[in-house]
Amino acid sequence: MIGVVVRGLSKSFGPVQALRGIDLVVEPGDFVVLLGPSGCGKSTLLNAIAGLDDIDAGSVQIGGVDVTQREPSERGIAMVFQSYALYPTMTVRRNLSFGLRVRSVPKTEIERRVAWVSELLQIGGLLDRKPSQLSGGQRQRVAIGRALVQQAKVFLLDEPLSNLDAKLRTEMRIELKRLHQSLGATIIYVTHDQIEAMTLATRIAVMRDGRIEQYAAPDVLYERPATLFVAGFVGSPGMNFLSGSLGRASTPVARIETDTIPLDSYPFRAAFAEGGEVVLGIRPEHVSLADPGARGSVIEAETLFIEPMGADTLVWFQYGSQRISARLSPQRARGLSGKVRLALDIDQISLFDPTTERRL
Amino acid sequence: MSALTAPARIGRFGLYAFLIATALFFAIPLLVVISTSLKSLDEIRDFSIFVPPSSPHFSAWWKAWHAACTGLDCGGVHVGFWNSVRILIPSVTLSVLAGALNGYALSHWKVRGADLILLALLLGAFIPYQVILYPLVKITSTIGIYSSLPGIIAVHILFGLPVMTLLFRNFYAGLPDQLVKAARVDGAGFWRIFASVMLPLSVNILIVATILQTTGIWNDYLLGLIFAGRENQPMTVQLNAIATTSTGEIEYNVNMAAALLTALPPLLLYFASGRFFVRGITAGAVKG
Amino acid sequence: MRIRNLAAKAVLSPTMLVMLVCFYGCALWTAYLSVTRSALLPNYQFAGLFQYVRLFATPRWNVAWSNMFLFGTLDILGTLGLGVLLAVLIDRQVRFEAAFRTIFLYPLSLSFIVTGLTWQWVLSPTIGVQNFVRGLGWSGFAFDWITRPDRAIYTLVFAGVWHQSGLIMAIMLAGLRGIDREIWRATRIEAIPTWRVYVSIVLPMLRPLLVTCVVLIAIAVVKSYDLVVAMTGGGPGYASDLPGKFVVDFAFERANIGQASAAAVVMLGSVLTVLAPYLYLELSRRDR
Repeated sequence: MIGVVVRGLSKSFGPVQALRGIDLVVEPGDFVVLLGPSGCGKSTLLNAIAGLDDIDAGSVQIGGVDVTQREPSERGIAMVFQSYALYPTMTVRRNLSFGLRVRSVPKTEIERRVAWVSELLQIGGLLDRKPSQLSGGQRQRVAIGRALVQQAKVFLLDEPLSNLDAKLRTEMRIELKRLHQSLGATIIYVTHDQIEAMTLATRIAVMRDGRIEQYAAPDVLYERPATLFVAGFVGSPGMNFLSGSLGRASTPVARIETDTIPLDSYPFRAAFAEGGEVVLGIRPEHVSLADPGARGSVIEAETLFIEPMGADTLVWFQYGSQRISARLSPQRARGLSGKVRLALDIDQISLFDPTTERRL
Repeated sequence: MSALTAPARIGRFGLYAFLIATALFFAIPLLVVISTSLKSLDEIRDFSIFVPPSSPHFSAWWKAWHAACTGLDCGGVHVGFWNSVRILIPSVTLSVLAGALNGYALSHWKVRGADLILLALLLGAFIPYQVILYPLVKITSTIGIYSSLPGIIAVHILFGLPVMTLLFRNFYAGLPDQLVKAARVDGAGFWRIFASVMLPLSVNILIVATILQTTGIWNDYLLGLIFAGRENQPMTVQLNAIATTSTGEIEYNVNMAAALLTALPPLLLYFASGRFFVRGITAGAVKG
Repeated sequence: MRIRNLAAKAVLSPTMLVMLVCFYGCALWTAYLSVTRSALLPNYQFAGLFQYVRLFATPRWNVAWSNMFLFGTLDILGTLGLGVLLAVLIDRQVRFEAAFRTIFLYPLSLSFIVTGLTWQWVLSPTIGVQNFVRGLGWSGFAFDWITRPDRAIYTLVFAGVWHQSGLIMAIMLAGLRGIDREIWRATRIEAIPTWRVYVSIVLPMLRPLLVTCVVLIAIAVVKSYDLVVAMTGGGPGYASDLPGKFVVDFAFERANIGQASAAAVVMLGSVLTVLAPYLYLELSRRDR
């Protein structure tokens, strides 16, 4: 198993800075997902690691070896492309074996690898077909097969599931997870779909504007987002953001609308600045209907509308000049109207400085 | 991946060397013709045509324009030039218009047998002139337009129909049909939609079609030779007659000047129109 | 419902009528003439294959016919080879691409008459290449192919390749540029050398386009008239004659309608032989 280390990687396209001094450490056997909206630089970073694009500054190490100056074929990587990039005039078998034949790998070895990959990905029956005769999911598996057959140590995947329909995507996600576990390969995966990222990754690098906003395991990203952007990007339905200011009343508090929310149990990272502006983030599942006698972090809000989502119902409330949503069970949400008292689970909140957008 | 490796640099050098050599292959014949047309006959006799002129002058050009001889007539190619112009303008205008209307009719209006029509046009585009030449002569002389200006114009329009129709049809078929449907819901009819919806969007394809037809018709030889009539012989026909007259000493400089004068209009059009020309010839070649 | 499309049908009918009569009707007329005893004047008495038998017993026709295959094969190989090569080289991201393309394409704006005359002059033993090389000191050098009966037909290849490679280059370059860039990236990861990518992956992907190019050049060869007239006049004698010129000469100068029609039908047959499989493949490919 091989790791990848990226240091100080920068790249610009003309006046546009696509990557700004990226540092990333991918441990051997990791499944790292580069997640972000379009234009954030995730594909650029992947291409830079692959060596398909030149970089302006920085270095890439694969397996401890500096490969920054090397051609993609000399880096020990394999890649799966968004459009699969299968060779249209060749059969599946030739698609899989072409690269090996060009490298003069012995015929018996080629046949062994092709057989192994066909078995692993269940594409044995497709070997004599051409890509145009395959379905989207089958082409995808052939593309993965072509990457596997090269027996690289690091696999780079560029939005491989985005051309598939939703059902197929779910199936292929499971396939990929299974492959990762059985092969123990190091994988770097690009996607804009945060559900894919959350389900597949061992660690996720959330990117925006050429920078990595946070690089952590999925649960850390979800429960303790480092920036406002990450908090809003990860998780669906999205996190609630309430604006207010910090205050002190024997213990730190947040003053939001007309309420005072106690913050004594909140693990502040930075120094507490009384009077400073604050954004309080809380996920809808951590907002519930308050018990009648409850005290502490309880607010009063006006029911706006109800969105049934199947297993849960998302209910929107007007809270002063702001809105807040709560994830309730369909039974508790039924017939809800008018003024309601909501309880906020203080142990699950995230506080952000609105100017720096960083977690407090 | 930074600077090129040594073998890659040699490869790159070889690439450019081949391209430049090929560029010379393409350019030299024209340059030779230009340079010889600027020489005097003595210079042509004594030196090779690949040598540039020592004191270039345009007298051969003047003679070609005003006094070159085809057989007994010595009026120069300016006669042919104006003939070609008189043939060109109506032919191009009418064949482009016909192609546009036909293409529009075939692409956005339900016409029974449209596919058959398109196939017939496609085949028609490939039929060599020689196959229908004699019958066409018979038809045009029966109508009374054989060997006349209307005759050659009609023939050019005829032979332009398949390519022009296919060109415009493919273009209009690529426009969203919601445009026409919306206009029809608003109550516009066939002609109204053509004038208000299609034409404004057609500027590029009109340019391409005009360039294609202009180049093709100006450069035509066979049809002009047969259908235009003695008083309307286009420049290409006159040029060939001048160049193949073998009475006395061959005035290469005059012949080459005549060739250049004939080549100049489409050549200038080519340099001026860039990508439109390329689109024209590739579209004309691929024909949908 | 029919009335709505009346304008479209009205617009298309003159074209359809003209296509029917002038293209297909005339072709059938020629075909009929080819099975009659026509000579100077049309004679509509049926005569079976008389004209064809006579045609293939005529030495000049046999020379023209075999010339067509000779010239055609070399022209196709040369034009296609050079055109594809230039397209591939330019696809390698060269600087001054616009300048190269301008130089490679300009001959297409010229009339075949101008091209023919230009190459006649360049290859002329008296003033052209032979004269130039001899002037440099190599007095025994000979390149008088254009005046030799056994070699004249090959000189047409120079002019043909010069005139048309640019078209093939433009078509193939557009095709090469349409190749999914991710396929190129995949080959870089697999360490496949550039030449191998073109030979094993990219050019096979463009096979339909290559076939189109072959068809285009082949048909142009069958139709060739202007080029032969200007470059060699079919000579010396009729050594460089081609079917396209044969038909016109026999229809007008030699005034043998029967022979001309038979030759024209053979020409049409050649075109259809090339075209039919191509159209069949194209249309079935589109249906899929």
